Amino acid sequence: MKHLNGLAAERLYEVKQEFKFIDHPSDFGIEAYGESVQDVFKNAALGLISAVAVSSGIEIRQERKIEINAMDRDNLLVRWLTEILYLYDAEKFLTADVKFEKLTETFLKAKIFGEVYNSTRHELKADVKAVTYHQLKIEEKNGDWTARIFVDV
Amino acid sequence: MSIKQLDEYRYLIPKTFREGMNVEGMVYASSEIFDAIERDETLNQVANVATLPGLVGRSLAMPDAHQGYGFAIGGVAAADMEKGVVSAGGVGFDINCGVRLLASNYSMKEVGPKIDPLLNQMFSSIPCGTGKSGILQISFDQLDKVLREGAHWAVENGCGTEEDIAHIEETGMIAGADPGEVSNRAKQRGKDQLGTLGSGNHFVEIQYISEIFDEQAAAVFGLGMDQIVMMIHSGSRGLGHQVCTDYLEVMQEAMPKYKIKAVDRQLACVPVRSKEGQSYLKAMAAAANFAFANRQMISHWARKSFKQVIGRGELRLIYDVAHNIAKEEEHTIDGRKIKVLVHRKGATRAFPARHHGIPDDYFETGQPVLIPGSMGTCSYVMVGTEKAMSETFGSICHGAGRVMSRHAAKKDTSAEQLIARLKEKGIHVRGASKSGLSEEKPEAYKDVRVVVDIVHNAGIARKVAKMVPIGVIKG
Repeated sequence: MKHLNGLAAERLYEVKQEFKFIDHPSDFGIEAYGESVQDVFKNAALGLISAVAVSSGIEIRQERKIEINAMDRDNLLVRWLTEILYLYDAEKFLTADVKFEKLTETFLKAKIFGEVYNSTRHELKADVKAVTYHQLKIEEKNGDWTARIFVDV
Repeated sequence: MSIKQLDEYRYLIPKTFREGMNVEGMVYASSEIFDAIERDETLNQVANVATLPGLVGRSLAMPDAHQGYGFAIGGVAAADMEKGVVSAGGVGFDINCGVRLLASNYSMKEVGPKIDPLLNQMFSSIPCGTGKSGILQISFDQLDKVLREGAHWAVENGCGTEEDIAHIEETGMIAGADPGEVSNRAKQRGKDQLGTLGSGNHFVEIQYISEIFDEQAAAVFGLGMDQIVMMIHSGSRGLGHQVCTDYLEVMQEAMPKYKIKAVDRQLACVPVRSKEGQSYLKAMAAAANFAFANRQMISHWARKSFKQVIGRGELRLIYDVAHNIAKEEEHTIDGRKIKVLVHRKGATRAFPARHHGIPDDYFETGQPVLIPGSMGTCSYVMVGTEKAMSETFGSICHGAGRVMSRHAAKKDTSAEQLIARLKEKGIHVRGASKSGLSEEKPEAYKDVRVVVDIVHNAGIARKVAKMVPIGVIKG
């Protein structure tokens, strides 16, 4: 699997973006890294937003609250990213930062920060149709967490 | 046991290929195409689909098949209506993504010199590309009407004719659609996207007919040499994507209740007759109707542009087909007629002559099947055959099929290089996104000519006409 460069090096405010885009025969995936589950959930969300828009111009002007119940942790990750995607596609809300109040195997409560798309300041890149379970993984090795997720474009 | 080549174009995946297969798999391919299909997860996905409960016949892959999510793209699988399951992933995220073909009364000679102004006019009047809202402002009540009535809604509102309706699969309105089974979130995503092309592989192309293979069928469809036609490829936009997302979750949660275990979460499924299964089918029909209305609206603006730049004459709708859909149909399995739910995931219905469900004027000829190729090559009109009914649930391929990832496609070709290269070949391009354009370069796809020849030679459809693009609008 080849890794794409470029976005992993981007920085957004104080948030260190730790993710890569990964290849898929017809679409692409996001591999997010961090020192905790919270980190990888956050970085996967920022990775998703980087796929739909140039993320460097997104400012924190609004916040949204999200609560999600899920069947298990993989399901929680899919539902979480689906929520981030929904906010973008339905409300044009671009996420720039995330703070988790609670994150367990099957539940999360978070505040997300960002702003509504403005064509004069933001550049959109691609439509993402959906977040999939295809080859999804969330794993920890020696304290380093990785989450991998593929999206349908 | 390994995969067995049955003849030049058929590869059988036996039940012993993987544990739990309820039916065999079958791949339609030449040896060259089979080599390409073997390189990714397609064969495993065809075998995984074969593990679904209540499947009948075989789990099929068409020659354009490539790795998808759960189901392979280019896959066909039919489930017994009474004992089988429905899978939201078996239809896919872009419910009723499909194509339509419109034919003009003009020749290449007449339109060719005006292709640039025509493309400019179309590019400015059809909303395309990522994040684009539609021109239409509709209320949620109106949206519910769209979900119930599909293309009929557009025609009632002055965007099309009764003749259009007759030339759309299911007349552009799948019965049983229920907006009440579509979540508010799906409606919210789709409300402003009616009449938008979208991005990715969606397009509008101006083409001319460069070859006729079947004079008789071409005459019935109203197609002749050098004639200018227009092909439109789009789907149900965010509304359909969200319906699939929602029901993947509903199905996963309901599976333990029905004691169903899926080998891949994307293959989540429930019995067709279950409450959840019926809800999904009503929501899927609503999303499919949204897609029919979407293509009808895009056609309306494309027709207006054509009239403005080229002049008199109508663009007649030849046909409109769904590529991602589940349909209740009657098929003969082992000599017995049964009702099945045919999942077509990146596959096209291809009914033969004298079959219920095709337009009256095509009744003695068969259903036109529209196969778009990549933008630098060509597209085809084919016609369904009896053999497709006995082998593939009346289904064939839906396009060329990707062979190169989006990243790989972008790596060594810039949009500018691609535009210049295509222009040399006489193909003028407008694209909403530069990187999106490179992702769709011709080499990113299999050769559609090879794919179509496999289908033709295997006898599951016949070639009628070939079209070459002269103008492309990419979302």
